Amino acid sequence: MTSKAIINRLATGVPGLDEILGGGLPEFSFNLIAGQPGCGKTTLAHQMMFALATLERPAIYFTVLGEPPLKMLRYQQQFEFFDTAAVNRTIRFVNLSDDAMTGDLNLVLKRITDEVTTHAPALVFVDSFRSVVLAGETGGNPHNGLQQFVQELGMLMTSWQATTFLIGEYFTETDGNPVFTVSDGLIWLRQTVQRNSMVRKMEIVKMRGQSTLPGLHTFRIGASGIDVFPPARVDVPTAASLNALLHAPRLLMGVPGLDDMLGGGLPRGYSLLVAGPSGSGKSILAAAFLAEGAREGQTGVIAAFEQHPNRSRSRSVADLIASGRVGLVENRAADLSIDEIVYMLMREIRRLDATRVVIDSLSGFELALAPTFREDFRESLSNLVTSLAAAGITVLMTSELEDRYTDLRFSPYGTAFMTDAIIVQRYIEVDSRLRRVMAVVKVRASAHSDQLREFSIDAQGIHIGKMLTHHEGLLGGRPTGKPAARPVGVAVTDPDG
Amino acid sequence: MQAFDQSKEDASSDIAALLAGAVSDGASARQVAGMVASAFRGIDQALVPIIGQRGVAALYKRSVHLAKRVHPWLPRPREGVHPAMDVSALTTELALQAPAAAAAAGDHLLQTFCELLIGLIGSSLTDRLLRPVWAILLSGASAQESTP
Repeated sequence: MTSKAIINRLATGVPGLDEILGGGLPEFSFNLIAGQPGCGKTTLAHQMMFALATLERPAIYFTVLGEPPLKMLRYQQQFEFFDTAAVNRTIRFVNLSDDAMTGDLNLVLKRITDEVTTHAPALVFVDSFRSVVLAGETGGNPHNGLQQFVQELGMLMTSWQATTFLIGEYFTETDGNPVFTVSDGLIWLRQTVQRNSMVRKMEIVKMRGQSTLPGLHTFRIGASGIDVFPPARVDVPTAASLNALLHAPRLLMGVPGLDDMLGGGLPRGYSLLVAGPSGSGKSILAAAFLAEGAREGQTGVIAAFEQHPNRSRSRSVADLIASGRVGLVENRAADLSIDEIVYMLMREIRRLDATRVVIDSLSGFELALAPTFREDFRESLSNLVTSLAAAGITVLMTSELEDRYTDLRFSPYGTAFMTDAIIVQRYIEVDSRLRRVMAVVKVRASAHSDQLREFSIDAQGIHIGKMLTHHEGLLGGRPTGKPAARPVGVAVTDPDG
Repeated sequence: MQAFDQSKEDASSDIAALLAGAVSDGASARQVAGMVASAFRGIDQALVPIIGQRGVAALYKRSVHLAKRVHPWLPRPREGVHPAMDVSALTTELALQAPAAAAAAGDHLLQTFCELLIGLIGSSLTDRLLRPVWAILLSGASAQESTP
């Protein structure tokens, strides 16, 4: 038995919040929820309260000046977490506006003390705290009254074994506000606007006694309340898991001939970039990859970021989604953050225990992001790919590639370095016709074909044809016939492999 | 006496039935006014701790304003530094009417107040907050009825 006090951690009931808090909220802590008006402070407080309050752990929500309680209830009751049956049972709302209007902080403190000692709540919320202070300001240093008030409140709440939240509008973190010093936890909510996009972010500035996830974490307020999106954890694969992946059978692509070109299919846990110009057949290749998985009893997830999903999605993918063998992640909401997309993706992967993932396309993915996240795109994508690979998931990403015939590019993002395998598709002009060619550019640590193969697309999918050995300069876009053309070879495997 | 039902619609129609029943049983306007007054005092007690004196007073003022279209004699709540429900003025005025008119106006005012609250915070939360008020009111009436 230990002689040290054990600090229980409460599950907040806000998806993702416990993770960024570093394992939940310390019981009996004295916390501050700060941020500008409209950033979701009251909603966060309510969501936690409804999740935490029980008959054994009742809550009191003090409303002071500021948002009229009637209006607060009007908006909060719309959220799914707002359980009216809990009101006046496990949750009591107490209005202190009449006391606060007197400007006497001692009166407010007395009312709070009376309520707390009478009802012994385990959870106490004071909203808005700042208005208590404003009401008490009578000239001089506004921090004096505040400091005393907060210290007394903090002392009272801790000794009465109440986990407390002061909700307040604070505009700057640097004004040396004594509340920040007294509080055990400081949750700062922000909203940033760039062009026409608005993004909400949360920062755990401080949480005594535990290690929180640093930085700004995006969150969204929807009908169910607040969802926080912690960054995807990058798990470093163990030697054992890498070894297991290495010896696992490779994944088949669902396109006859392509597996041979890849040296026998795609190694499990690899990320494959399919790059090509618009209409070259990248999405069809991705659909074949998912369909092949389904044929083998594997589930998949597609993150689809097309402008017109219904128009461009292939029938086979639509059927797979409808049958539940492939999960769909779409950019329905505006101003997505990478963490949010990754969160949705991982949720689908876990739900379906998926082993194949398609991101179609990287260009659409980037466009779906709020402008403020675009500069982090490459780094976040790299994290995503690493996390998926560590989980043994095989990823196929498509990338729009502008057809340039003067240089050989595989990706507009410099994403090539982070992928394990690359397939490139190109258009070429032969006999006044636009024809397609495909090549496997890279399969990390594996032999693969170096052939540039013509391919065609019909209702059945992609058909890989022969090498155009009687032409040269294919990648320049305008091949020329060789003077002495020989019959076309059909070798599909790398001579070295 | 009908059993108290948990849904708001039934609860307020119970109140309407309670008032109408009292009138047909020969209750005076003063008695009807007393019943309406206890309903509003109950509402005041239930809501003031949650939405504050001013919040309740504002709702009451709006309800009177709306109900005055049908019952123009209803007294306007007094203005002042500390606005509150003016139940005593309402009681006095209701007592001056014929019992049926007092019951109709009292019921209309109560209904208007509830509808206003439902419009703002939804029927579920309104019911949750006001259910005990109706329960006390109806059980009180029921107790009176059962008294020999």
